[in-house]
Amino acid sequence: MSNPLRDPRDRRLPRVPDPCALVVFGVTGDLARKKLIPGIYDLANRGLLPPGFVLLGFARRDWGDGDFEELAREAARSGARTEFREEVWQRLAESIRFLGGSFDDDDAFDRLAQLLDESGSAQHNAAFYLSIPPSAFPVVLKQMERTGMADNARAGGWRRVVVEKPFGHDLASSRELNELVNSVFTADDVFRIDHYLGKETVQNLLALRFANTLFEPIWNAHHIDSVQITMAEDGGIGTRAAFYEETGAARDVLQNHLLQLLALTAMEEPSSFDADALRHEKKKVLGAVVPPTDCDAYAVRGQYDQGWLAGERAVAYRAEEGVDDASTTETFAAVRLHVENRRWAGVPFYLRTGKRLPRRVTEIAVVFRKAPHLPFDATDTEILGANQLVVRVQPDEGVTLRFGSKVPGTAMEVRDVAMDFLYGEAFTEASPEAYERLLLDVLLGDRALFPHDVEVEESWRVIDPIEAAWRAQDEAGRQPQLYRAGEWGPAAADEMLARDGRTWRRP
Amino acid sequence: MTTLWDTTGRDVVSALSAERRRSGVVSTGLALTLCVVVEEKDVGAAEQAATRAAAEHPCRLLMVVRRRPDAAESRLDAELLIGGRLGPGEAVVMRMYGRLALHAESVVLPLLAPDAPVVTWWAGAPPDLVAHDPLGVFADRRVTDCSLAADPVAALRRRADDYAPGDTDLAWTRSTQWRALCASAFDPLDTRATAVRVIGPPDATRALLAGWLGRRLGVEVAEKDAAGDGVEAAEFDLADGTVLRIGRGDGRSAVLARTGQPDRSMPLPPREVGDLLAEELRRLDPDDTYAEALEQATGTSGLSARPRTRTHIWHDPTADPSPDPALTTT
Repeated sequence: MSNPLRDPRDRRLPRVPDPCALVVFGVTGDLARKKLIPGIYDLANRGLLPPGFVLLGFARRDWGDGDFEELAREAARSGARTEFREEVWQRLAESIRFLGGSFDDDDAFDRLAQLLDESGSAQHNAAFYLSIPPSAFPVVLKQMERTGMADNARAGGWRRVVVEKPFGHDLASSRELNELVNSVFTADDVFRIDHYLGKETVQNLLALRFANTLFEPIWNAHHIDSVQITMAEDGGIGTRAAFYEETGAARDVLQNHLLQLLALTAMEEPSSFDADALRHEKKKVLGAVVPPTDCDAYAVRGQYDQGWLAGERAVAYRAEEGVDDASTTETFAAVRLHVENRRWAGVPFYLRTGKRLPRRVTEIAVVFRKAPHLPFDATDTEILGANQLVVRVQPDEGVTLRFGSKVPGTAMEVRDVAMDFLYGEAFTEASPEAYERLLLDVLLGDRALFPHDVEVEESWRVIDPIEAAWRAQDEAGRQPQLYRAGEWGPAAADEMLARDGRTWRRP
Repeated sequence: MTTLWDTTGRDVVSALSAERRRSGVVSTGLALTLCVVVEEKDVGAAEQAATRAAAEHPCRLLMVVRRRPDAAESRLDAELLIGGRLGPGEAVVMRMYGRLALHAESVVLPLLAPDAPVVTWWAGAPPDLVAHDPLGVFADRRVTDCSLAADPVAALRRRADDYAPGDTDLAWTRSTQWRALCASAFDPLDTRATAVRVIGPPDATRALLAGWLGRRLGVEVAEKDAAGDGVEAAEFDLADGTVLRIGRGDGRSAVLARTGQPDRSMPLPPREVGDLLAEELRRLDPDDTYAEALEQATGTSGLSARPRTRTHIWHDPTADPSPDPALTTT
């Protein structure tokens, strides 16, 4: 029976999920403490959690509810976006439970299933957040299958699972992982978190393209010269050496974030904004992406050497703790991809990502073709660049349009100027954190911002040949190019664009 | 900050653009113009509320203080601020004396941000007819507050008679939290309500909440008096024989009680006028749900179908107020 008090026209009322439980596996880990618990607190503070919400933490510790509450409280206090209010916390704390046990402990999972069953009518609905290493997935999923807690029909409500990247490390392993998860949960109940898709600007990219008449007519190979998508980080690998040695920049960032940004930039207009239509279009465009045929020239990998960054000395990647002295793991990757369809034929998509680059920035730059004819003297337009539309994902979320303008004076001189839209200027209404937004979407069952398993597999199809080429280079004794920490990547990345007669935009 | 004494509208416009150049601000990001009609005694409170709302929605804030329309000489004083006391955007506080007070739009029109929506907020008692005030006629959204009228329920009735799509009232905004609580309490229900009681002091918010519940649930809603500052409780008799009650708990929460189930506590933080105003600025399209609640609360109909624009009706408060027969209600 639908709720008579809910009305789509009534947009003042927040959408609140059905009464449900959120079970977090690995709740004592970094992600849970820094992002999930603060996100849950923020939701509670905004009144977006349903009555009877329960947060169940599961981890390999011998703890009582009290110990966990203390940790969660600290996490919420230091990480929350909204003001920390004792009475909000108290209310949330009443609904926090902790369950200690290892993942192969049948008893612990029996107790969890029992807890979910007996907490009254509300807990027929539950979402399971797997904040654990992928190697632990099989055992946890098998436990869920054994206790039947993943079964919608048996539970009498919805049961959803949330998975974090990495979604496998190549096509074969991601298929295996998808099969495993899909065998326990139904495919529609699997939510893969790519926190970039929770950002306001990424969603705004869709509004920009499909709510305006201005951009879509020129959003094609006739008018666009090339697209550059950059995700730069100034930090190093921190304490994630073990993970990073196995992964590298391409698998860590290129495969998921950058290809998702590419998909949103290049996809056709979905027939509606519901999850299925959106995923369908993303799947189509990712299927049209072809990896470089000449990986030596158009898939550049780099690794940071020692250098200075933001006034501080930074050590080389190979000197980081836990990293092999002769490691060939890439910390920088730049590739040229093509999207083979009518809209994009011949337009190169340059994607780059790296650690220890000069500043933390993510942006999508659409570079337009130069005017076919300029009725000015060559000297007048010497410093006129190509028109650009830049979508800044972080920081300073917004959009910039660059175009030529006359320099005041008697001479006809044309130079680039920028027209800027800054999110924080037009709407300072605080945007929710990506995790806060995505957690709410999971509980509401809104799948639009979560990549589908087919998208993940298509992405691996693009990445695998690149990785294979790099492994072959390793065997031939060719190492990733070094770049100084604090530089915009290795020289080879610049040469890659120079070969095409282009240059990277400085973000 | 720039202060202009005994000035003209033209000087205010050029002083604003000079001030903007000096602080290096471009006005491209402005999402809207907020025009505040306020009396001198309420300026402090209105500034505080508008600043709070402007922090969430950067806007050009125009405060119009009309003083002594019977004064012999007209005069305009203006104070300009950018990114200062009145929030991150641009603010102009204008005091208008004498006959100029009746022609405030002549100063305000050139100051509106280009092609951005205009919201006019009466920070005091609502006007008798919005069409009497040119500052309300050119606005896309008009925000009044019936709770400041001498008789809030009669004022609400007046708002219904005078309604045009794009009008809202802060008495309605005050009901949002209660409406959210009711809606989420109904989410898990698989039964319907047979009778509803809304308990609180006899004000416009109680009337609108009752109107909304009556319209959505299709049942009689009884209004019961109780002392207090705002709605105290909503009670629902359900078809399965149980009773659902949402009542105010301590200062910051509400308690959700249902026969045979444990009580649940839900957040109900107090809100200031600035928060209410910020909520109003979040959506700039006509609020049809408000129109329906207002219809139900006042026994009117067809509010959403009325024309969206008004025509200014000349009205001189210094002359004898003569009732407009076309708009008089029984």
